[in-house]
Amino acid sequence: MRKRTLLASAIMAGGAVLTAAVAQEQLPTHLKELLELGMHPGHAYVDEGREMFHTPGPNGKSCATCHGQDGKKLEGAYAKMPRYYKDIGKVADIDTRILACMTKYMGYDKNDKKFMKKFKKWNGPYRVPLASYVASLSNGMRIDVKLDDPQEKELYKMGEKLWYMRVGARDFSCGICHTVLAGKRIRLQGLPDPVKNKVYAHWPAYRFGSDRMWTMEDRVRSCFKAYLLYTKQWSKKDWVKKPPPFSDWVIALELYMKHAANGATVEVPGLLR
Amino acid sequence: MRKFVLAGAFVGLGLLVACQPAAQKAEAPKAEKKKLSSKEKFKIALANQDKWQKACSNPTQLVPEGIDVETFKKEMLATVKFPEGGVVGKNIARGEKLFGDPKKGGKSRRGNCYACHCGDPKILACGNIGPSLRGYGKRGIDPKDTYIRIYNSWAQNPCSVMPRLGYHGVLKPEEIADIVAYMHDPNSPLNK
Repeated sequence: MRKRTLLASAIMAGGAVLTAAVAQEQLPTHLKELLELGMHPGHAYVDEGREMFHTPGPNGKSCATCHGQDGKKLEGAYAKMPRYYKDIGKVADIDTRILACMTKYMGYDKNDKKFMKKFKKWNGPYRVPLASYVASLSNGMRIDVKLDDPQEKELYKMGEKLWYMRVGARDFSCGICHTVLAGKRIRLQGLPDPVKNKVYAHWPAYRFGSDRMWTMEDRVRSCFKAYLLYTKQWSKKDWVKKPPPFSDWVIALELYMKHAANGATVEVPGLLR
Repeated sequence: MRKFVLAGAFVGLGLLVACQPAAQKAEAPKAEKKKLSSKEKFKIALANQDKWQKACSNPTQLVPEGIDVETFKKEMLATVKFPEGGVVGKNIARGEKLFGDPKKGGKSRRGNCYACHCGDPKILACGNIGPSLRGYGKRGIDPKDTYIRIYNSWAQNPCSVMPRLGYHGVLKPEEIADIVAYMHDPNSPLNK
């Protein structure tokens, strides 16, 4: 009998070691091989974005008309984002900036529901590919987010407050998992520390868990998913799924995280779990 | 021919009468309720932060200085509602499903205990945020304390990361009682 218990505990200990190893392993071998071969799945999005960058909009202008062939004038721009833009009068992250450019200068209509739906979609031709491409133009440069403008300062404060704000039906905040409990596991998923470890340098990233490219806007909004109630009643319609896209809440959190990543080298598209 | 027309008229009348209240019903709530935009909903969700959540919203995510922990605990304990049938439920199978359905690898949409705790040795995909619950029933813990901890963990451990499942209504009192029964049952896989 004792032998059997010993054996069982040995098997269990082995299992625990194995699970720990699985949890730590960031990239499965087949993806490592792809990376070595230069076949990063995220590069398909960058190529798609490059094509879109040179495609004229409804009024005949393309991104390249202002930003130069192959985005020459945009090199290093992503390393300083999110920042205040005079022409739109607010702080913008990359998604918001692309939308503003397209609707303000390229002739797309912001009130056209069909266009907006296509723009917001992750597998649409505009937002994610363009963001990946423009971000990749800053590769190798150091992140340098300055808080010079009063609007930037205000939004940064809001981001820091939101980071530690315990809200919703699960009493969570961003900070409790990603600052206080960083390094622990939710099931087998390790909790990263985006503030201390400057993970923003790898975003937008291709996440093989969902098999698609994510911008930080997608990431922040999805983090809010599934635990915010807007009235205290347990029914399906009382759930708020995500903060609205391109809203100040999302941009504030992005600004907070990216400012924390100052000094890190941009390396996009990232390849993450 | 005339019969047909008459019949048609009757059917038409019948349809009119039948449809009218339905049409009225469909129109009425539209005028009453204004649909909230996602921005407004999100704003309300943030504004609904309660005073205890607000107290815990600091960089340490713990009770800040100046707030008495014992008063905090007492106030939280006052929110706990107990089920009529006692804190140990009868439906152990339902308790297991809410804790984490072993047929689905320990998944559960509402209890989801395995996200942070280990328990049933068969379920390897368990988190390490909370302590392991293996052998929980043998530790001599009062089932009432277990019930309170699940209903409102802040009554025992203020600002803990463990969601206040009963307080927010994620789990009903009877459902929590079933989970308590599952955790204290000597035959449950947690205690074997």
